Amino acid sequence: MSELEGMTAKQKLAYYQEKMYQDALDGKAKGELVCWSSSIAPCEFCEVMGIHMIYPENHAAAVGAKHGALAMIELAERRGYSLDICSYARINLAYMDLLVEEAKTGVTPKELEECPGPRIPLPDVIITCNNICNTLLKWYENLAVELNIPYIIIDVPYVHHWPIPEYTKEYIADQFEYAIKQLEDLCGKPFDRQKFIEVQEQCQRSVNAWDRAMGMACTVPSPLNGFDMFNFMALIVCARAKYAAEDTFNTLADELEAKAARGEDAFKGGEKFRIAWEGIACWPYLSHTYKSLKSLGCNMVGSTYPGAWSIHYTVGNMKEMGAGYCKMYSNTCLDHKVDVISDVLTSTSSTGITYHLNRSCKLMSFLNVETAEIVKERTGVPYVSFDGDQTDPRNFSPAQFDTRVQALAEIMEQNKK
Amino acid sequence: MSKVETILANMKAVAANPKQAIADAQAKTGKAAVGVLPVYAPEEIVYAAGALPVGCWGKATKNISKARTYLPAFACSIMQSIMEMELEGVYDDLKAVLVSSPCDTLKCMGQKWKGKCPVIQFVHPQNRNLESANVFLVEEYKLVRKALEEALGVTITDEAINKAIDVYNENRQAVRKFLEVAADYPQVIDPVARHAIMKARFFMDKADHTAAIKELTAELEAMPKEAWKGKKVILTGITAEPDEFLEILKEFDIAVVADDLAQESRQVRVDVPEGDEPLMRLAKQWQNMYGCSLATDRDKDRIPMICDMVEKYGADAVIYCQMKFCDPEEFDYPLLYSKMEEKEIRNLMIEIDQQASSFEQIRTRIQSFVEMF
Amino acid sequence: MYTMGIDIGSASSKVVILKDGNDIVAGEVIQFGTGSSGPQRALEAAFEKSGLSFADMTKVVATGYGRFSVEQADKQISEISCHAKGIHFMVPTARTIIDIGGQDAKAIKLDKRGTVSQFFMNDKCAAGTGRFLEVMSRVLEVPLDQMAEYDSRATEVVSVSSTCTVFAESEVISHLSNEIPKENIIAGVHASVASKACGLAYRTGLEEDIVMSGGVAQNAGVVRAISRELQKNVIVAPNPQIIGALGAALFAYDEAMKAQ
Repeated sequence: MSELEGMTAKQKLAYYQEKMYQDALDGKAKGELVCWSSSIAPCEFCEVMGIHMIYPENHAAAVGAKHGALAMIELAERRGYSLDICSYARINLAYMDLLVEEAKTGVTPKELEECPGPRIPLPDVIITCNNICNTLLKWYENLAVELNIPYIIIDVPYVHHWPIPEYTKEYIADQFEYAIKQLEDLCGKPFDRQKFIEVQEQCQRSVNAWDRAMGMACTVPSPLNGFDMFNFMALIVCARAKYAAEDTFNTLADELEAKAARGEDAFKGGEKFRIAWEGIACWPYLSHTYKSLKSLGCNMVGSTYPGAWSIHYTVGNMKEMGAGYCKMYSNTCLDHKVDVISDVLTSTSSTGITYHLNRSCKLMSFLNVETAEIVKERTGVPYVSFDGDQTDPRNFSPAQFDTRVQALAEIMEQNKK
Repeated sequence: MSKVETILANMKAVAANPKQAIADAQAKTGKAAVGVLPVYAPEEIVYAAGALPVGCWGKATKNISKARTYLPAFACSIMQSIMEMELEGVYDDLKAVLVSSPCDTLKCMGQKWKGKCPVIQFVHPQNRNLESANVFLVEEYKLVRKALEEALGVTITDEAINKAIDVYNENRQAVRKFLEVAADYPQVIDPVARHAIMKARFFMDKADHTAAIKELTAELEAMPKEAWKGKKVILTGITAEPDEFLEILKEFDIAVVADDLAQESRQVRVDVPEGDEPLMRLAKQWQNMYGCSLATDRDKDRIPMICDMVEKYGADAVIYCQMKFCDPEEFDYPLLYSKMEEKEIRNLMIEIDQQASSFEQIRTRIQSFVEMF
Repeated sequence: MYTMGIDIGSASSKVVILKDGNDIVAGEVIQFGTGSSGPQRALEAAFEKSGLSFADMTKVVATGYGRFSVEQADKQISEISCHAKGIHFMVPTARTIIDIGGQDAKAIKLDKRGTVSQFFMNDKCAAGTGRFLEVMSRVLEVPLDQMAEYDSRATEVVSVSSTCTVFAESEVISHLSNEIPKENIIAGVHASVASKACGLAYRTGLEEDIVMSGGVAQNAGVVRAISRELQKNVIVAPNPQIIGALGAALFAYDEAMKAQ
């Protein structure tokens, strides 16, 4: 691992990400199996089986951040996908079509050639977990049918009353066993239970390192800015079951601790306000939203992202592992959602919050009004809401965003007095 | 008025004025009303509690204003309308309301109920082929049962649920039989009437609905079949409301010979299977459900199902009634569309908005569609 | 024998009088649509031009959004069928029609006989229609009929990608305040309309010849943008605004022949 020595966390992030995409492509070429997975589905099972993992949501976000979303979105719309469907799904389904066309004809379609995101191989199996949304179930159903490949579902039923009931955990644990069986059938080999323990241990170490690094956002002033959080998130998604994540996040945490010890913040002393961002980033406008907030001295330190992958469980305990994947805040009732967001505000000392009314995500939008009101009542923290979309660049207005966050900064300024 | 005309007039009156229909049913039976939001719910438990389950599927001619505060514009029109009525107190006479969570919108709706009565939210499992999914659903139904007992101040016995299942199974069978027969009498059962009969189901005691349906079916069967000079279609989607859309079909001599609408045939597609434990029986009904965008369909069996329906009913075309902003349906469309094109099944997608006020584009699409034949 | 086609759209009214199903003796356009004085004025203009009256018309067919409000019509036929008919008459080799009107955009696939084999229409949204261009023309302070000319002088196509017309308006305003030349913004507006229309057109399979009709086809900027997007040659139908009315007049002729 000598080439990793002396690398910064940012360099490691780039290195590992590229390596994983490359490994998957190389592996596919050698006949190894590739799985497409939703971003908070259990990765443990496929890791044990030695299956390469690709995460379409991350891939779509990367395509979006590199301004390649529109071309894919238009292809999906040509196939008849409504423009009201999740833009991650539209990008991925269009990308899948292009990969299929390439595989059939041996010719790389122009749109695929020109797509700025990383190249990914077609999957041999897919796994999804509806802890993020039920839209994933439909999206992956379409992948499974179009590609005629095994479809692993981890159904974590919506927790309409907190806490998660025992019978829900039992149902999820049983699905884990079924997933294992599906993988055994696919791979033609038994599931290695000993290796499963090791993989779970690695996941726990990765998650601890993630918690440690993300926890640095609680320091005032913060050495971490939330947009870095958005970027580093890619690795907790893709490499939770690998040393890569643990390594990178520990390096990041070391760097941030050193920075904090020197009294430096992410804005070189310019942190005037600390705010939270509720919802997914607007990937095509990542730079615009970052600069717009930075110009107001707003450091985005609060996000529900860190918590989403903070999946802790006792190694070997299937029910606890099930609960870990079930507790994702968007899969839980309003009360719990409010608790999670209030905790983010308190722990990061945020004095303002922006709610992203995300055209792509009904689940992460339709409770915003209630959530914002109750959180404000409870914490006194003011909020603004803006219209946007995670990757469809046509549903965001920079002018609207700038005006709203400026108004938030003005309210925060008043509240300081 | 002939017997058929009388029954149709009654059904239409019920469908057009649910409030009156519910009041009439309550006056007759003394039952309390419990609301049931789309799409599926164990209504049998409500019925077993001695209450009248009432479908809450929005309202066609509703102006949306208050709901705008709580729901962004990209929520489907049924939910917009329900939210509006929650805020206007329309549901305040209900003793409770059942909300399932098969889509992301409904998950949220169950958490933001603005009516006065208690909301009982539950969730159907989606890994439906597993036995553990049934076990899970039984536990959810136990919560529903307990919450209903509290809201209504009654005890719901297993025996009562089993009896309710019998009433519902009989109704589903009667409705399915009726739909089969009605396909041969498009002159009598036009698209608007057909919808009214299916909609009336939501506001009548099921035993009464069954009786009326059986009588209507028998009357129809006694009538001579006439050749149909117009076109025959199959409707698929969530709903084909509002009536103005169905009126346009009627205007262009289009008969609905079968449907796969969540509001209509999907409600009666699958009976509750035999068994001892009533909640397990109800859970297995969900496991047996098929061809619906809201119930995991690993092989998209909905697609061959619709293609088969076209053949079975000699339909000229399929109309995909795409409820605007319903993503489960939006995901199914491209795959079904490709298959229908491949099989040279004529098809048309119509965007459904329950609150639509202008139908010119729909009329143009339907007219053009007919002109294509 | 004379037959008449009346096309009452949302933004304009068109009347065509046809002699023996072949010669256009009048083809009049008034820029006011259904519910206005437009239909009456278009009829008057056509009668004045031809020296004929309703009494001379063997059959009359109405099409367009206002087709059911034309009392004199013997029949109403949808604008999809009428555009197909009209285009087939004008350009017999046409297999794909892209029609952009005031509030509708449609893509129609034709078979060899010129009959409609599939069609797609825009959703309930002004983006990609004539209405969108009108809004942008107002924001940009450039008259609608000069937009194409501006577009021809563009050195670059700036992005106007918002789906929502209100957002697109703010996008355009921000381009203006960044002092981007109007020419380049207009080229962006045209590309935006083209992209929406092409989204529909792709679904037809894009068999050539591809022909454009409807009022927006008169805007050479949009036509260029569509051609660029599809990477195919796009023919503009002669007198594109009257195509629907022409199709209606041809249907009226068929009706008249059937009656004989």
